[in-house]
Amino acid sequence: MALLNFDNVDLGHGTHVVLPGLTLSFQAGERVALLGQSGAGKSTLLAEIRRRLGNTAAWCPQGHGLVPLLSVYHNVYMGQLERHAALVNLFNLARPRREAWQTIETLTQELGLEGLLRRPVEQLSGGQRQRVAIARAFYQQREIFLGDEPLASVDPHQALRLLERIQARHATSIVALHQHRLALSHFDRIIGLRDGRVVLDAPARELTLARLDALYPDAAAMKGETQGEAKDEDRVASAP
Amino acid sequence: MNAAPGLLRGNSPGLTLARRSLALILLCLLLLPFADLRIIAVDPWGELWRMLHGFVWPDFLGLENPLRAIALTISVALWGTFIGAILGFPLALLFHHSRLVRGFCAFVRAIHELFWALLFIQVFGLSAVTALSALAIPYAGIFAKVYAEILELTPRAPTDALPDGVDRLSRFLYAELPQVWERLASYTRYRFECAMRASVLLGFVGLPTLGFYLESAFREGRFGEAGALLWVFYALIATLQWWGHRRLLPILLIGALFWLGPWPEVDGDLLWRFVSQDLWPAPLLHGDLAGMGSWLAGLPDLLPAIGNTLLLALMGTAGSLVLALLLWPLASRHFGRPWQRVGGRLMLVVLRSTPELMLAFIFLLMLGPSMLPAWLALALHNGAVIAFLVARHADGLKTGMTDLPASGRYAYELLPRLYPNLLALICYRAEVIMRETALLGMLGVATLGFYIDSSFQYLMFDQAFFLLLVTAVLNIGIDALSRRFRPREVPLDDPCSR
Repeated sequence: MALLNFDNVDLGHGTHVVLPGLTLSFQAGERVALLGQSGAGKSTLLAEIRRRLGNTAAWCPQGHGLVPLLSVYHNVYMGQLERHAALVNLFNLARPRREAWQTIETLTQELGLEGLLRRPVEQLSGGQRQRVAIARAFYQQREIFLGDEPLASVDPHQALRLLERIQARHATSIVALHQHRLALSHFDRIIGLRDGRVVLDAPARELTLARLDALYPDAAAMKGETQGEAKDEDRVASAP
Repeated sequence: MNAAPGLLRGNSPGLTLARRSLALILLCLLLLPFADLRIIAVDPWGELWRMLHGFVWPDFLGLENPLRAIALTISVALWGTFIGAILGFPLALLFHHSRLVRGFCAFVRAIHELFWALLFIQVFGLSAVTALSALAIPYAGIFAKVYAEILELTPRAPTDALPDGVDRLSRFLYAELPQVWERLASYTRYRFECAMRASVLLGFVGLPTLGFYLESAFREGRFGEAGALLWVFYALIATLQWWGHRRLLPILLIGALFWLGPWPEVDGDLLWRFVSQDLWPAPLLHGDLAGMGSWLAGLPDLLPAIGNTLLLALMGTAGSLVLALLLWPLASRHFGRPWQRVGGRLMLVVLRSTPELMLAFIFLLMLGPSMLPAWLALALHNGAVIAFLVARHADGLKTGMTDLPASGRYAYELLPRLYPNLLALICYRAEVIMRETALLGMLGVATLGFYIDSSFQYLMFDQAFFLLLVTAVLNIGIDALSRRFRPREVPLDDPCSR
């Protein structure tokens, strides 16, 4: 069953086209990995998928999108903010709702965040924040999971465990990631993007690590690229 | 081989700023001959000596019931800020959507707290209502503007991460407000410190806050008492972080209610008459346009007053710039020994905590009524405020070459990095200085404030109100001008620098 179709559409921001003439379709029940360098168009594609699926899909954004001053509980609660009246949400800030608290407590335990429910997110480590962002996506309780690099700031071992949780809870998942081994072992289909074009779209079992590495330009250029990325991250980290 | 470029030639941003600042200082020097800078007092040094004596040997026992004045000063500042914030917050939410709201806010904050007090005294007398409205009304305008600027800088990521269909209030409460809460709170705290100074100043128009006792002690030459009151005020400001702690605020707010007073009997008819008739020129109310001509002719000669106001503002701004450049190293960790820094920092704190009208008043007693005391007061107070912020900024920087001499560190390492920010602060401050110049008229300097004050004294409310409007328009103009020349490339991330 087709979940959604792109038939020769241009995707981008405003007048700036990032993905020209995109033709692609996604099936319900599929587990899809999106690979490609930063700037290849993964985020643009995911944002458009999110726009089309609306609230049928849970969303885990790049960079977490958490509110530093609020507690873990409130950050996770934000996943269901649209299901309650404004007043209920207001009171929940002062005094957590009992059933929400219990659900979120179970969720966070599953993700290894036990005992941190009251802690402001600003006091958490990068890996813990990542798991809060995933917990928030889980709390949305959807069939479909959309994640823009939801495993970016955790170690490989944790990434594996988190990915298994994500897939156990969602029949369909479309995830942008950088871990090629995980893409091969835990997804049905891999889509590779490069400079705004789909250069690879195949079942994961037909692919090899070498094919995936070819998505990235040759080794020397790749080295320069990762350095450039590291610099970008520095800049983001030092920005106020 | 190329010749080295001439003096200040080139189009780097640093040079542009340097040319702009030199132009400001040059303009000030050119116009200086037009300013009345005479020293009229007979024995300025003797007067200064007696004041210093009083400051060094304060006479705490001579104070009559200072606790009442202290409590009232704090209560007025606390509730004035609180009401201002309550009124300003909803305005901040509308600020970027409505030209009307922006205009209204610009207008109410263009008029100094003391002038608002003079206006309200006519209706509410020397009462708590006068004191609170005098603070809360201009502060509502200031809060609206600064809160709106802070809210505008809210990071978008958490909002973008929300599911579809979240209502506006929930979105604001969860994804926007918590991210800027710290900044809003710290600006409100800073404004409270300003309110403490303003609350003291309200004593100058007769409300029994600390300033009332300060003024009479100074005027009557009881410098020991004046010194003691100043020390009390500095102690209050220095210990603000403890007694004004977040957790104590609810208790303070409730306690302050008992000290606020007296509450006036408001006569509705009188109030209505004041607003609908007294404030407006009689010919205008009768639709008599010819009569307006003679009404306008009856005004005091405004051009010299406006000229003096603008000149004093220019002198104050240029003076603050020069003083800030000279003073900031005194409080910075890059210069001097630790004990010298403690001294420098203390001096800056004292200069910045003393209300500028108070400083002007002290200089006025020393030097006599000319523009000189006002200039000194404006330049010292605002120069110290900026020097303090710049020193804090400098302390956050690391120098690359550690073994440079102090002059090299100042001129090559630090100043080039600090200067855009310093100049931006000066531009922000120009509006404040402008507001204060008009105010110094109350001490007898022939600015607009002088005529406003005397119009109120002669109960010519229509004239006073008209002059207030002129002041407000001038102020809004200066604000627009300084915004135009402000270095744009520096984001002032610290809202407390406004």
